[in-house]
Amino acid sequence: MATIGADLVRQMAAGDREAFAVFYDRYAPVVFPLILRIVRERADASDVLQEVFWEAWRDAPAYDAARGSPEAWMVTRARTRALDRIRATRRRGDTFVAPLDEGLAAPHESAPDAAERAADRGTVMSALDRLPDVQREVIELAYYAGLTQTEIAERLKQPLGTVKTRIRLALERLRAVVKTSA
Amino acid sequence: MTHEPYDTLAATYAVGALDGQERADFERHLADGCDVCEAILRESAEALAALARSGPPMVPPPAVKEELMRRLAATTPARRGAARPRPLVWAVGTAAAVIAAAAFIGTYVAARYEAQLGVMARESAALRAKVEREMAVLREQTDVYANAADLLRDPQTQIVTLRGLGPSPEATGRVVWHPVKGGYVFVANLPAAPPGMAYEIWTIGDGAPRPAGLFQVDPSKRGAHRIDPVEGGKPVKVFAVTLETSTGVPTPQGPMVLASAK
Repeated sequence: MATIGADLVRQMAAGDREAFAVFYDRYAPVVFPLILRIVRERADASDVLQEVFWEAWRDAPAYDAARGSPEAWMVTRARTRALDRIRATRRRGDTFVAPLDEGLAAPHESAPDAAERAADRGTVMSALDRLPDVQREVIELAYYAGLTQTEIAERLKQPLGTVKTRIRLALERLRAVVKTSA
Repeated sequence: MTHEPYDTLAATYAVGALDGQERADFERHLADGCDVCEAILRESAEALAALARSGPPMVPPPAVKEELMRRLAATTPARRGAARPRPLVWAVGTAAAVIAAAAFIGTYVAARYEAQLGVMARESAALRAKVEREMAVLREQTDVYANAADLLRDPQTQIVTLRGLGPSPEATGRVVWHPVKGGYVFVANLPAAPPGMAYEIWTIGDGAPRPAGLFQVDPSKRGAHRIDPVEGGKPVKVFAVTLETSTGVPTPQGPMVLASAK
């Protein structure tokens, strides 16, 4: 197992700022595309990135290597904070579902920078591409757009059970890919 | 009962899509301790991390790192990292040296008693890893205590009492608080957070509650954690602790377990 990252977190927990700098250089290029994929705006993504690493520094003492790799620790945190950000900026409206739908539709309608957006999408599409379309779709809606199973079922006009099964199959396949490449 | 329905729930939970009653039920199932689900969640998190890694890396704007390093230097006392003798850590360091020496002797003996080699090497490695882990925890604790003691010397520092509520009426807590420098929370008699959960501390002033850090309690049900200062030194009227998911939430959602009186 990769332990360099875990060692860095341990050093961060002991207050080592240099370890933090190395940790940042190692993981920021991994989580930044994910954050950007979710929040879409580069300025927002930079804010979220800073918040995520600040929390990593603060929470380093609580990190437990037995519960997951530092990478998974950071990716989970980055995804959560990025979704918090888009929800906060859209909350002022009425319902929860409608603003999310609007956000999801945005990339197809308004395009500030098509090339950049294509690059952003390419980032996650590469591994997602191995999934059948219907499985990829539920992962995109759940993981990147932050929709719940009920919202996804409504949106796709599919029974809830179908949505859940697709999610399960998609994750099983992604896990298998990770296991074989590990 | 077969575990299969939980496989689906765990996968849906892993991508953050489980909602309603099913979510509550699944979280209860997790809290009861389920190794299978824990493993699915762990592997799913790794798979999603691999997904994030699978695209080309993207270098973020350099200003982000610069700002982080500046914040870090501004709010972290320089002594947190090195220097300054810490008797407790020194003692543990000595213990580590003793164990390291034992490992050395062990290796020597093992060379003569070939069969024991593997066992002893494994044991000493495990012991060293354990000591290192404990050292990191102790170092963190001594830092908290040293910094809190520094704060207590400041005439502006106040001590605020926290009372246990709802799920944990027997819990107690104190906040050592400085309006500019922030402070520390110390709790006792607070049960360990269920797996995947953590305690989150909030500072409440005139606006919405502000998240001020996540912490866990040790097996003796005690915990200590730093509380970040409120920007602009705005007054804090209430301190509260809630039980949340271990990654924390921006606004309180879980049950309140401790709070200060107004």
